[in-house]
Amino acid sequence: MLRSYLKLAWKILWRRRFYTFISLFGIMVTIAVLVVASALLDHTFAPMPPEVRQDRTLGLFRARLVGKDSIDSTAVGYRLIDRYARNLPGVERLAIVSQAQTVLSYVGGHRVESRIRRADAEYWRVLDFAFLEGGPFTDQDVAGGSFVAVISASARDAYFGGAPAVGRVLEADGQRFRVIGVVSDVPATREVAYGDLYVPFTTQKTDAYRRELLGDFYALLLARSPADFPAIKSELASRLARAELPSREYDHLYAFPQTYFESVADDVFFDDQADRSHPERLLAVMAVAAFLFLLLPTVNLVNLNVSRITERASEIGVRKAFGASSRVLVTQFVVENLLLTLVGAAGGFVLATVVLWLVTASGVVPHAELALNLRVFGAGVAAAAVFGLLSGVYPAWRMSRMHPVEALKGAVR
Amino acid sequence: MIRHLLRVVWNRRRSNALVAIEILLSFLVLAAVSTLVIYYVDNYRRPLGFSYDSVWLVSIDMNASQVLQGQPVEPGAQQGTDGLEDSPAARRARVAQLLQLLSGLPDVEAAAAATNAPYSPGSSTSRFDVKGRPVRFGTARTTDDFAAALRLDMVQGRWFGRGDDGSAWRTVVINQRMARELFGNEDPVGRFIEEDRIPKPDFTPRPRMKVVGVVRDFRKAGELEPASNFVLQRAQLEDPALGPVVPQTLVVRARAGAASAAFEEQLVSKLRAAAPTWTFKPVAMSLARDRVLRRYVPVVAAALLVALFLLMMVALGLTGVLWLSITQRTREIGLRRAHGATGFDIQRQVLGEVLVLTVTGVAAGSCIAIQFPLLEIVGAVRTGVYVAGLAMSTALMFALTAACAWAPGRLASSVDPADALRYE
Repeated sequence: MLRSYLKLAWKILWRRRFYTFISLFGIMVTIAVLVVASALLDHTFAPMPPEVRQDRTLGLFRARLVGKDSIDSTAVGYRLIDRYARNLPGVERLAIVSQAQTVLSYVGGHRVESRIRRADAEYWRVLDFAFLEGGPFTDQDVAGGSFVAVISASARDAYFGGAPAVGRVLEADGQRFRVIGVVSDVPATREVAYGDLYVPFTTQKTDAYRRELLGDFYALLLARSPADFPAIKSELASRLARAELPSREYDHLYAFPQTYFESVADDVFFDDQADRSHPERLLAVMAVAAFLFLLLPTVNLVNLNVSRITERASEIGVRKAFGASSRVLVTQFVVENLLLTLVGAAGGFVLATVVLWLVTASGVVPHAELALNLRVFGAGVAAAAVFGLLSGVYPAWRMSRMHPVEALKGAVR
Repeated sequence: MIRHLLRVVWNRRRSNALVAIEILLSFLVLAAVSTLVIYYVDNYRRPLGFSYDSVWLVSIDMNASQVLQGQPVEPGAQQGTDGLEDSPAARRARVAQLLQLLSGLPDVEAAAAATNAPYSPGSSTSRFDVKGRPVRFGTARTTDDFAAALRLDMVQGRWFGRGDDGSAWRTVVINQRMARELFGNEDPVGRFIEEDRIPKPDFTPRPRMKVVGVVRDFRKAGELEPASNFVLQRAQLEDPALGPVVPQTLVVRARAGAASAAFEEQLVSKLRAAAPTWTFKPVAMSLARDRVLRRYVPVVAAALLVALFLLMMVALGLTGVLWLSITQRTREIGLRRAHGATGFDIQRQVLGEVLVLTVTGVAAGSCIAIQFPLLEIVGAVRTGVYVAGLAMSTALMFALTAACAWAPGRLASSVDPADALRYE
């Protein structure tokens, strides 16, 4: 049965090439836009090297001091991590890394801008960087405040013209670091891993950071398994509830172990109820945006499909006269439309691949390697299926309701 | 004629409704895109109020506890690692030393400090109530050389200077928009900004502000920022009344011909030597400007591209739908031709029907689009920009649908009556 539907659908698509082309063009562009958008999201949030253990990692991205008439919200301070987040039950490793900060160097009269991250040695064990040369710094380097640096491949190009860098010295922000390792570039979309220079956090110019509850650090908590997440969250919450606050202006200190997506959702839907997290709201907004975007292409395709019913009126009349039920006709038309959408989606994937390649080559997102992967592909196919159903059901229903006699005469209004 | 058109459209209301909905949705897309484009073009044309050539911004990270602002967590925590007292006043004194050092350099024309400067990240906005009306404004505290460093465009009164030392009020220079909003057509120079006293127990009035001059404009975020109020407040670094305020952005103008990477390097090495525990981030203001613009351009370009593809799709789709409806109505058209209607009449009818649908779609779309300014969902966009956006999208929508109707109209007008009447 299905085979004959598909065969018929294929024939009809070829019969009126102009309309098939118009429909396919719309579907292709629509799917391509959705695929590009989901590839960008995937590149920002989904696990990819060096964040390979993301499924059992939680981060502390934001800390909030809440008072009667003010809320201060920034990245986490070192004091909060050191004093309250260490030795949480179920946590295998705790890594500390600063937000990327821009620093300047002058190499042979040229200005070189790099993003520096100050980290501890655990950072290299929680994340899996690919070392091209040398290796990471150690706990002793961090404890002793050694001026050593792991640099990215593009930083190696900028400072040393691409020549082997281990053992050589570079200057950044007036500090001199000995290079001990080179890692491959990480895309700029990766909030906890992107950087050019990675140095021990103890090399900061002053030790003011040690006194901060709110500062510019992230903590990464690697749990033994995702099952430990609730215990980690509640233990940290109860520790922070008893925390010593800097002044009487503030009543509460909050920091949630969460995924990066959840922290972005919290930043977008910042509200006074600072003790809750709202990732579902961001998901809802994204779903609504995708739906609104799909609305116009859907109406466009529905219009085309409804118009084409006329063209097939005599065929429908014959089938009805020979006793085909409305259900059968609806199924047939929906299957036809799904086939059309999937063919369009295939074109959409090709178009999306080209766009992603162009975005990657343009360098708008530094070091990004945007490409299709299974997740993005799945999202695109799902979008195409939803699109095909939405735009197929109404015309199919209209078609099935045609009166057989009128249909045979070919008159429809 | 119009009655006839309406009746023909009404008779095919079911499929026409779908077309009208499609026109409505495309109109909304067009309205959003036109408003966006007009908004940015309108902003871009306005004067900046300062000059960015040969100017360097140096933002300072003082590497000190930020949030606590002088409130110690542990006893003795105020002592910095370099042994200096780390109070706001001490930091301001250090900034003053740096300014003196920079002004002494042969290649520097002027050097000033400010809490924020054009194209620098971070901004400060404030509001107060004047005569029962809330007035919102952006603001910055700046030292006396700020006007010279940025070549601000004074239009009335004077810039502030040493002569304002020791006054009991805050000396300020405002932009023209703010002057109009506060004083209407009266001369603002020498006037005080009188803030309403709110009868609340914990209300502490701010120090009064005295306006000594007016600049043409001061658009902190640059060309793409909408017209807004701005107040430049005088900061005298030795003044203890500044409290916790520490200007952390230096604005340095190089002498003509001295602007180069070497100038920047020299600047940074002098600053680092004078304040080794601070981190200095210099950037040529022209580069900072480029970056701000470049952050917008990909987003706007992507939105435009997507909208363009959507409209192309709609154009093709509408043409296809109209074409099919013409072939379906061949007999009706043949009958009209047989009754003496010319090809031109037929084409006019096709166009007329499409126009009726467009009017319906655009009218409904305008009702939706008008909600955004009415409900103040997008506050930054001026009403004029909105009206222009709607007008432009209406014109484009009519042009688009007329273009889509042209080819099907030609097809309809070339129908031969004799053939058409036989057509099945």
